[in-house]
Amino acid sequence: MFNEKTIEEVKSANRKASSDATSTAFYNNPRIRGLFYQVALVAGLLYFFVTVIGNTLDNMEATGIKTGFAFLDAAAGYDVLMSLISFESTDTYARIFVVGFLNTILVSVIGIFFATLFGFIFGVAYFSHNWLIRKLAVVYVEIFRNIPLLLQVFFWYFAVLSSLPSARQSLSLGEAVFLNVRGLYFPKLVGGDLAWVVWTVLALAIGGVFYLRRWAKKRQEITGEQFPVLKASLALIIFAPLMAAALTGFPFTVDYPALKGFNYFGGVTVIPELMALSIALSVYTGAFIAEAVRAGIQSIPRGQTEAARSLGLRENKIMSLIIVPQAMRVIVPLLNSEYQSLVKNSTLAAAIGYPDLFNVFVGTALNQTGQAIETIFMTIIVYFIVNMVISFLMNRFNSAVSLVSR
Amino acid sequence: MKEFQPSSPRSAPVKSVGLIAWLRDNLFSSIPNAVVTIAFISFLAYYIPLLIDWAFLSANFKGETEAACVNDGACWVFVNAWSYQFFYGTYPPEEVWRINLTIVLLILVIIGSFTLPKSIRLKTSIAAWLLLPVVGIALLDGRLLGLEMVSTDLWGGFSLNVFMATASIVVAFPFSFLWALGRRSDMPFIRSVSVTFIEFFRGVPVLSLFFMGSVMLPLFFAEGTNVDKLIRVWLVLIFFMSGYMAEVFRGGVQAVPKGQYEAADSIGLGYWQKIMLIILPQVIKISMPNILATFVMLFKNTTFLLIIGIPEVVQTLQTALSNSYWLGGHALEGYLFVFLVFWGSCFGMSLLASRIERTMNTDKRD
Repeated sequence: MFNEKTIEEVKSANRKASSDATSTAFYNNPRIRGLFYQVALVAGLLYFFVTVIGNTLDNMEATGIKTGFAFLDAAAGYDVLMSLISFESTDTYARIFVVGFLNTILVSVIGIFFATLFGFIFGVAYFSHNWLIRKLAVVYVEIFRNIPLLLQVFFWYFAVLSSLPSARQSLSLGEAVFLNVRGLYFPKLVGGDLAWVVWTVLALAIGGVFYLRRWAKKRQEITGEQFPVLKASLALIIFAPLMAAALTGFPFTVDYPALKGFNYFGGVTVIPELMALSIALSVYTGAFIAEAVRAGIQSIPRGQTEAARSLGLRENKIMSLIIVPQAMRVIVPLLNSEYQSLVKNSTLAAAIGYPDLFNVFVGTALNQTGQAIETIFMTIIVYFIVNMVISFLMNRFNSAVSLVSR
Repeated sequence: MKEFQPSSPRSAPVKSVGLIAWLRDNLFSSIPNAVVTIAFISFLAYYIPLLIDWAFLSANFKGETEAACVNDGACWVFVNAWSYQFFYGTYPPEEVWRINLTIVLLILVIIGSFTLPKSIRLKTSIAAWLLLPVVGIALLDGRLLGLEMVSTDLWGGFSLNVFMATASIVVAFPFSFLWALGRRSDMPFIRSVSVTFIEFFRGVPVLSLFFMGSVMLPLFFAEGTNVDKLIRVWLVLIFFMSGYMAEVFRGGVQAVPKGQYEAADSIGLGYWQKIMLIILPQVIKISMPNILATFVMLFKNTTFLLIIGIPEVVQTLQTALSNSYWLGGHALEGYLFVFLVFWGSCFGMSLLASRIERTMNTDKRD
């Protein structure tokens, strides 16, 4: 039986206890502690930045360096080894920035393409039926993953490419492609008046391939009939522009590289620095990608392969239709970080003198102007942006391949 | 009564066991496979003897100078003559015992942290690891111990790579754990500072960090202070490493089951007691393979120091290759040697990492 008085007593005792709990020493209150830590951190950071900025301004004054980006409009006064846009030594630092940026993008794109190619070839080779090929994949990954990239760049540049024959003894392929110590030369198509017709047809053909793939997929979903998409696409891409070229009377001339004096001129030249850097980046990153591909494929249960076999699919069809599409869910996030580190590693261009952004800007421009903070931060921001773009694209791709749960 | 006599078991079909079956399965399972195998074997059969001949049979091992390389094979005399510089840089030869002693100490600490009795292992080894960089620098520099001073300009070679990598990861260890905790903290400001720090140092090319260390950091110090270049680069490496290790630890902290936190709370441990006594030991154990992998990456990246003119092993090799007494084009031998040294260390560490991973898997018995 409850007594009114007892209940009141209990209630008041409870109230007292809870007021005791809130009146523990204020420095033991987690919220106040949290606030204190954060204020301390803010104060520490503020002090740090104020000191650093003050010191920097003092130091710069002492050495007579003007802060700011005015140096971008000054003439650079030096030439770069290779440029995708026209460049002369009278051009500004701003233009050198663009030249370097384009060179970085060039080597990154080449590197990403070949690293992906090597990575997928060797990653799939892990599961080959041939013991030798399986071991080859293991050897490739374990060797190239465990040797510093800089050593590999140097190896290709100083030990392999520099022992190629001189221009007069060039290695040649059908008298059109030449390889010597000065670089790789191959012929270039120079478009005439009507060349735009052919390019337009080519662009239309590529667009047509996408349309064809969509149509074929839809048709297969409705009727179950397969359409030879790959053969049809190849035919479209090769024959449509060829037809256009034939109809317009082949409006192209081929510019072959030719030996004049001590060197080859004409055509497209790939300088050895670009070759060494791209080879090293693709081989090194390819080893990591191969590891990612292997991990992805191993994450697929064996039952998938067995089920596919019992349906009567052939081995290569099992790989391309069943295993790899599922493995992509594991592979793509890993690819994302590998691509980003490839772009960051392309700064090793500075070691062999390939004029990438880092080399021409943080290397040479910094040296000439002394604008350490501006040049380094401009460069860092570019790498951040490039990596964010890669991350964005790969995340889009990832959501396309990721498991759609119904 | 007629006794049951089992007929003797038939041997397995020849086609499924033994060497021939293995060959059929793994090398000649189909015609294209057989073609690949034969091509591959003939390729190896052609090149391996050439390689062995170049590297061993007609190679030059004895001698001191370029002139000793008379055979057509590899000139290992070159590597031999420069081996001191490759390992120790230009450190004075009479003082080289200090480098050796530091390496011995390092090895002792590594062995200790795996073999000491379990009751004292964690505390002793953490203390030893944190003391190691201080002792190492005191030994190598010498002034603190009353030895002859050896300027950092003279440090170099492979030992410098090892020291830079080890000293950075050891100092980065506690910091990165703090960053990882900060990233998981409930306090918004601490969390955003941690995220910014981690993402900055992970997102930036390591080479630009080295440039920051060599040309930008001097601007940050008060006028007149002159901090040694190697120390500046060390600072930068510590930051770089704490960014990467923080992510490793974050993974480890997340992998500790929630029940562990709740159990620690329920027995009344405070935040730091909970972290240091319950969470940290488990995190270190879980993250060990990833810590080793990060260390391998850092170790490989120490070669990038060449670009800001620090005489680590690759820089030493480049100097040796351009030495006017050795202009016989020994790039191949030199690179192969440095390849082997790095490959051996990195591959060894990745084997160790996978071994630790396997031993860890076995004690998950629940």
